[in-house]
Amino acid sequence: MRSRRRFPPLAVMAPPVRYCIPGERLCNLEEGSPGSGTYTRHGYIFSSLAGCLTKSSENGALPVISVMRETESQLLPDVGAIVTCKVSSINSRFAKVHILYVGSTPLKNSFRGTIRKEDVRATEKDKVEIYKSFRPGDIVLAKVISLGDAQSNYLLTTAENELGVVVAHSESGVQMVPISWCEMQCPKTHTKEFRKVARVQPEFLQT
Amino acid sequence: RGSRARALPDRALVNCQYSSATFSTGERKRRPHGDRKSCEMGLQLRQTFEAAILTQLHPRSQIDIYVQVLQADGGTYAACVNAATLAVLDAGVPMRDFVCACSAGFVDSTALADLSHVEEAAGGPQLALALLPASGQIALLEMDARLHEDHLESVLEAAARAARDVHTLLDRVVRQHVREASVLLG
Repeated sequence: MRSRRRFPPLAVMAPPVRYCIPGERLCNLEEGSPGSGTYTRHGYIFSSLAGCLTKSSENGALPVISVMRETESQLLPDVGAIVTCKVSSINSRFAKVHILYVGSTPLKNSFRGTIRKEDVRATEKDKVEIYKSFRPGDIVLAKVISLGDAQSNYLLTTAENELGVVVAHSESGVQMVPISWCEMQCPKTHTKEFRKVARVQPEFLQT
Repeated sequence: RGSRARALPDRALVNCQYSSATFSTGERKRRPHGDRKSCEMGLQLRQTFEAAILTQLHPRSQIDIYVQVLQADGGTYAACVNAATLAVLDAGVPMRDFVCACSAGFVDSTALADLSHVEEAAGGPQLALALLPASGQIALLEMDARLHEDHLESVLEAAARAARDVHTLLDRVVRQHVREASVLLG
């Protein structure tokens, strides 16, 4: 009796990837609904980017046709987003910062932001002194309130309990420990410095 | 430089600047920036790309396209448009279609496509055409010479055919590039 040779099961082949270029006609409006990277004209869906075609099959509704580019587009800070920034310079009226992270994703190029004097705190806004709230080099959690004007600086605010300075170094170069919402203490020299401290939730603190 | 107060509330602003290197022409140019030809070329490029880029998707923003010519041997407008199309596509700005351009002229009752510098300097009529090939729409058509209307059809046809050939080439190159880029990124 001849022994049958067992062939290993064939690996499931991935569906062939289809690449498209701007202006290429993808399909009819009856066969799919337009997603990102496409536009419609005369009842047909055309591609507007150079990338690969993806079809997401919905249950019941038409599949959404979209074109994805390989390189990720930069995540932009939107109004209301919490951003992590580093103070670059201070003034009596505002503090200039570099925005490093949006949420938890790091940015490839940092954006510039401004924290105005009246946006530092929610209470006693006119008695704020920037020198007692931020110093250059502090890491600050802030929220975006505006995309900015012609000078393209994002406007940020720290007027909430959870926003403000999270990491600061004292004048002797040691990282300080927060002791209240407006003071931080250096563990080496025990001097207290004024900052607008953020109340970080206990589960995020790493000891 | 880009405008600051001219942000449009519903569309992106397209800002194009053209400059040519001093060593680009046969005789060294004394003043490469800000002269009339550069401003006019920038304006033409802006009109061309406003027709192709989907500006509604990016309100209150500005898209800058800077073109510099390193060697000018005729057909500079067409070369700028073709290069800028590839740049805009690579940047991921959504476009309606490629923009392919070519120049054409009329010498000895023959329509010529893609004129060289010598043919342009000969003084005959020349036409610059920018086309969106998939739909056949014309983004820009420019001519500043006298041409009899009987000949317009043949010259336009020669330019359109050459622009479609450019599109075939760009199509092949872009697809290959996208395929290679996706293979690299796994």
